[in-house]
Amino acid sequence: MNIKLTYILVGLFMLASVAQAQINVSGRVTGADGEALIGATVAVPGAKGAVTDLDGHYQVSAPSAESELVFSYIGMRTLTEKVGDRRVIDVVLEENNALIDEVVVVGYGSQKRSNISGSVATVTAAEIAETPVLRIEQALQGRTAGVQVTQNSGAPGSPLTVRIRGTGTINNSDPLYIVDGVPVDGLDFLNPNDIETINVLKDAASAAIYGSRGANGVVLITTRTGKKNQDGKIAYDAYFGMQSAWKKINLLNAREYAILSNEARVSAGQVPLPEFAYPDQLGKGTDWLDAIFSDAPMTSHQLSLTGGGDNSTYTISGNYFDQDGIVGGNKSGFKRYTARINGTHTVKKWLTMGTNLGLTNLSRRFLPENNEFTTPLVRALNMDPVTPVRKSDGTYAYSRYSDTDIVNPVNAIEQTHDRWNSKRIVGALFGELSLAPGLRFRSSYSVDATFATRNIFYPRFDLSSDPVLSDAPAGEKNLINSVVLQHNTWRTWQWENVLTWDRHFGDTHHLTLTGGTTALENRFEYSGGANTNLPSNDPDDAYISNTIDPIASQSAYGGADESSLLSVFGRANYELKEKYLFSAALRADGSSRFGPNNRYGYFPSVSAGWIISEESFWKSKALEYLKIRASWGQNGNDRIGNYGFTSVVLSGQNYTFGPTQIITNGSVPLTVANPDLRWETISQTDLGFDATFLNGRLTWTSDFYIKNTSGMLYAAPIPLTVGANPPVRNIASVKNTGWETDLQYRQRAGAFKYSIGGNFSMVRNEVTSLGEGGEPVFAGRVQSANASVTKTEVGQPIGAFYGYVTDGIFQTREEVAAHAFQNENTAPGDIRFKDLNGDGVVNTDDQTYIGNPIPDFTYGINADVEWKGFDLGIFLQGASGNEIYNATIRYDFTYVNRPVSVLNRWTGPGTSNNEPRVSLSDPNQNARVSNRFVEDGSYLRLKNVQLGYSLPKSVLKRIGFEKFRVYASAQNLFTFTKYSGMDPEIGAYGGALEAGIDRGFYPQARVLLGGINVVF
Amino acid sequence: MLNLFKNKNDMKHSIIRFLLVAGVLATSAACNKDFLDRKPLVGATEENFYRTEADAIAAINAAYAPLQFELSPAGHFRWIWGDVMSDDAIKGGSGDNDAIEMLQLETFTAQANNENVESEWSADYEGIYRANVVLERIPNIQMNEQLKARILGEARFIRAWFFYNLVTLYGGVPLADHVLAPSEYNLPRASESEVWTLVETDLREAAAALPLRSEYAVSDLGRITKGAAQSLLLKTLVWQQRWSEAQTLAEEIVNSNQYQLEPNYAKIFTQEGENGPESIFEIQYMNASGGNWGKNNANEGTFSNVFQRARGQFEGYGFNIPTENFVQEFFKEGFEDPRLKSTVFRVGEPMGDRGTFTKEATGGFSYDYYPKKFFSNKSEEAPFGDPNPNGGSNDRVIRFSDVLLLHAEAAYHNGNEAAARQSLNRVRARARGTLPNVLPDVTATGAALLDAIYHERRVELGLEGHRFFDLLRTGRAAQVLGPLGFNESVHKYLPIPLSQIQATNGAIVQNSGY
Repeated sequence: MNIKLTYILVGLFMLASVAQAQINVSGRVTGADGEALIGATVAVPGAKGAVTDLDGHYQVSAPSAESELVFSYIGMRTLTEKVGDRRVIDVVLEENNALIDEVVVVGYGSQKRSNISGSVATVTAAEIAETPVLRIEQALQGRTAGVQVTQNSGAPGSPLTVRIRGTGTINNSDPLYIVDGVPVDGLDFLNPNDIETINVLKDAASAAIYGSRGANGVVLITTRTGKKNQDGKIAYDAYFGMQSAWKKINLLNAREYAILSNEARVSAGQVPLPEFAYPDQLGKGTDWLDAIFSDAPMTSHQLSLTGGGDNSTYTISGNYFDQDGIVGGNKSGFKRYTARINGTHTVKKWLTMGTNLGLTNLSRRFLPENNEFTTPLVRALNMDPVTPVRKSDGTYAYSRYSDTDIVNPVNAIEQTHDRWNSKRIVGALFGELSLAPGLRFRSSYSVDATFATRNIFYPRFDLSSDPVLSDAPAGEKNLINSVVLQHNTWRTWQWENVLTWDRHFGDTHHLTLTGGTTALENRFEYSGGANTNLPSNDPDDAYISNTIDPIASQSAYGGADESSLLSVFGRANYELKEKYLFSAALRADGSSRFGPNNRYGYFPSVSAGWIISEESFWKSKALEYLKIRASWGQNGNDRIGNYGFTSVVLSGQNYTFGPTQIITNGSVPLTVANPDLRWETISQTDLGFDATFLNGRLTWTSDFYIKNTSGMLYAAPIPLTVGANPPVRNIASVKNTGWETDLQYRQRAGAFKYSIGGNFSMVRNEVTSLGEGGEPVFAGRVQSANASVTKTEVGQPIGAFYGYVTDGIFQTREEVAAHAFQNENTAPGDIRFKDLNGDGVVNTDDQTYIGNPIPDFTYGINADVEWKGFDLGIFLQGASGNEIYNATIRYDFTYVNRPVSVLNRWTGPGTSNNEPRVSLSDPNQNARVSNRFVEDGSYLRLKNVQLGYSLPKSVLKRIGFEKFRVYASAQNLFTFTKYSGMDPEIGAYGGALEAGIDRGFYPQARVLLGGINVVF
Repeated sequence: MLNLFKNKNDMKHSIIRFLLVAGVLATSAACNKDFLDRKPLVGATEENFYRTEADAIAAINAAYAPLQFELSPAGHFRWIWGDVMSDDAIKGGSGDNDAIEMLQLETFTAQANNENVESEWSADYEGIYRANVVLERIPNIQMNEQLKARILGEARFIRAWFFYNLVTLYGGVPLADHVLAPSEYNLPRASESEVWTLVETDLREAAAALPLRSEYAVSDLGRITKGAAQSLLLKTLVWQQRWSEAQTLAEEIVNSNQYQLEPNYAKIFTQEGENGPESIFEIQYMNASGGNWGKNNANEGTFSNVFQRARGQFEGYGFNIPTENFVQEFFKEGFEDPRLKSTVFRVGEPMGDRGTFTKEATGGFSYDYYPKKFFSNKSEEAPFGDPNPNGGSNDRVIRFSDVLLLHAEAAYHNGNEAAARQSLNRVRARARGTLPNVLPDVTATGAALLDAIYHERRVELGLEGHRFFDLLRTGRAAQVLGPLGFNESVHKYLPIPLSQIQATNGAIVQNSGY
């Protein structure tokens, strides 16, 4: 037989065998309500599958009568039907309320939720879509127990504080973010519309596979991809909203300000200002808060194409997002263009290749935020109401009473030109080889590269009424303009290789082994320059070389730093009879950030679960699923700076010599080196259960954990006699103990479908060591008291507020004399501070803990209702039991405006027992750090209400659409709080040691918006 | 091998696949150990520095830098100790709460947690550490021996200067005469005399090693000279009342012919007067180094200009306000001492090019006087950046007239009244200039002569940070400052910063009375 003939014969044989086995099956897939399920997957193992059409119909060819059809649909229980002799198979899919069968992405793999023995929380695309927001962290807020998200500021694009199970360290407590396998810094580049799911690895066992980076929890973000054999879909989503300030603080008007100014001068032994002789004539004056706030638009457009064929899947999307700030409009605006291309292709039966690629162009403009010196908010709160915004000639006015920081905020906003633009590419290329049944090898190379520019121009201006005298104070004029331009580049590449062996041994054993390696390198480079005295005062001409003398005042600088990581990791999951679950993982990390004496770290973990409801003795019908879990593991926190182990001989310690005063370089090691430096270690024990009741309508998950951070990096003060900065050492420790729970209930009653749920988290934070000697850390300096507000000490939570305790107001001289000595000029009307140690003198020994910025508990409540095409979603989020230190009023200045509460001031015996007298001088230091400024920061916020309407399928079919939905929503509609400042939602802007200090937080906006979702 | 493959064809493909995997793994294993070895890319590390002459110069320059420190992080200006803590000035500012800790110093109510007190301590030891680094690292560098000797001399002066500050403010302090190892961190206090011994030794060695002022290159103007080392040694001897050694040394300085009195007293405190003929030790500041607020004032400018300027139109903070008592000292001899005009501003006088001093123009504050020696004109303001931390006025620490007056004082105590009068009258003659009917030569003897010398110091060196220390070392502090809250048994020394007692687990002991 020649070769040709052989081929023909073989070919015929194969054809025959194919023809022989082919069975065409068709049918319709519906839900329990009889409605067609569009886009349900009908898989046929060993053959081509299909996806249901608009009517729920499908058609497949099964290889044999023995074949099984697997019907699946998001949110439904997967159903398997044997073909047998049937040619039409109609199926009804039951809703899978329990979600225990959902597949959860875990580190380097995925697992069925029912088989997970660690603590992993999931946020779905549907939940993300409910709150149209700029940053993905905002969508996480209040959605899962154990994850606390707070806004650092209401400025568009401002980062958020995300804490998974408490504040694990006084250093960087941010979780590790992994987007499609790529570790990324910051999430502002991600378009929330592109997200498929977010999984949060909360316990140490789940995060252990990330070793030295997992200590603060891991957030795994998966972007959308198409499905195989799915007709192409085009989706268009857009919304437009208006933002406005949700709250206004009532401040003194001009008349009241003048009255108090007169009183303050008199009580300090000075004469009132002549222009305030007739306060009534001054009227209301200027409302500076009105002057800086304005309504601001936000808008988003998204177009996405998804689909898939026999061998490939794709997603292509583009998004435009634009948001202005409610303070300063586009001066604090954020604009983002994103494009995403995700695709996979099966090259060979055993080889799949794919890419995930995201491109972002992001522009942001900054106004100063969260400081007491330069923010528009602090200036508006403190500026006297007597000064108008503008003079009669239309130019901006300046205050005759203020100096230094408190300048006309409207002019200051106008003179601010601080622009940021970054272009970022985050992408991965991967290949997956199927080596043998159950044995897969995946190699992926990924890159995260950001090219950013910051451009600051400070123009020339002068608010002086008399340009010759130049009478305006320093902050109200700038006679020499200046420009700064900085280029920053961040580049990270990562190469990961993972081998997975997944094998069932009969029905009894299921073993999954995962092993892999990671190599990663980070590099940051910056260069910049500055110049002054540009002839043009137009920000568009603000280039460094646009000056009269391009050399004279020009300056340039630049530098770089880098870090690298090499890791080996492995994990074994073993399920016995789908009842007993075991998992163990170990990762070894070598990091350039660790000192030469401690270059490699090892991070182990174990976990186990027992699905009690699978036991034969389990009889309960109501409680149909119950799993108890326990886990223990160790993770590291490697965010310790790149070169903490060495001491850099720092240049720039300059002096000036010579008759023309030449700056001459000096160099010295400023910090003591520590070659033993290593990661911070978190050991965490977790106990939890997952339960479902009532046919899966009610699900309940709850966890208790103890999380100990040891080797926390802390530059414990060393005696100043050393003369150099203390080395950072692994010497401190913190303990977080918490309990969290998540309950969801769903029900359907005819056309009426609803769900309601909530999550609740409690965490107690305690510093357990600050190294030998245990010197407390004072931080959070506020200008109004010129002192630190927080004290971190063993036995206390991180960053607790510390200060004096008030005890009413001295009504009479006798009361002053009878009380412990405060100051020789303490007078009636001043605050009485408690003499806590009873030594007859009120001094620093009489300070104590006066508040805790960490909430006792945080919670989220959601309710969703669907009825005949209408959908209503309500989402509330809150925190309780935390305190805020309100440092927004600059008591260190005498002329500042104040909230109207000062009208209740003490003016004579019996007039007030909480608001002290007003006086230009403050000998008693009424403004010292005390509980007077500590307020209850609890809040409950109606984060989002959304009402939507979708056209019914009958109409959609006629117009050829798959989905057409319009909606209106409101964010931050109501906030219930006792806090008197602008916004109770305050993050940890200056780090964990400075959480909860309000230095003029840019408040969050109330947003009213309308949008549409169209799919065809 | 496991029975993983159904047939041979599968097997063949599998080999390709396994080879692919092996290749990938082999490549990733090729990442070598150096991959994790990352050193800082900007700035040298201790291991690769201190090798060249340029490194030695950079090291000594870094030791000069702490001379300029004023905020570490709270203010510790020399004028706080010398003037605000004396009868010459009060704190000032916009009210009691404006730098309240400075008010505590003014009223002698400061406690151990006073931040100005801690900042001074911190800055002094930072300077000492940097000088110690030079003294330990530079000797091993192969370089020009003459230059090396000079650099070591400069370092010794700098170390002595900071210990001088410490011992006069706090008494005996930990004697960190080398870079401390971790086991030595809890160094206890040495006695006052041990500190003085170190200061004296360092200054004698510095004086021997350092060039004369005239021997330095012009580009090195501002570096420590032999004369500066001798003059600080003079102050050291005077503090210890070693009068005969002091007189001899003072005469040596005078006879070195390196220093002359500037004929025009008013000029000394102007920009043109910087590093003038009578300048012996002057801390250099400039207005054009950019930078901004920050610990240790991270630039080459001074804050004293803005701190001491009036508020309101004059754009200052209004600190260090001269007292009536101080101003009256200038009228004590029955005429107005001409130096008053160069020392304080009075209402109605022009404040440089910034306008006339009226109380309205200062923002309505009630102060009658403002200090003048750190006044800077608008035209001298920083050409770029924030002008406030970028004041350009040098701090005139030791002037030749100070040396002459110390000579007079020493000579007086040695019974050499003629020599005392001669030096005293030399200072007065310069102040007198060509003005008739003022500042006649002093002819007094005995106690009256000593009083005349004390008076002369107060007016000649007024608001230059001397007064508190002069009162203290001459035993007049209790009498003069008593009414202001001064109690000799306590306030002779500042408190040791509380944080330092805690940081050393009590190895450092507090001064009595705190």
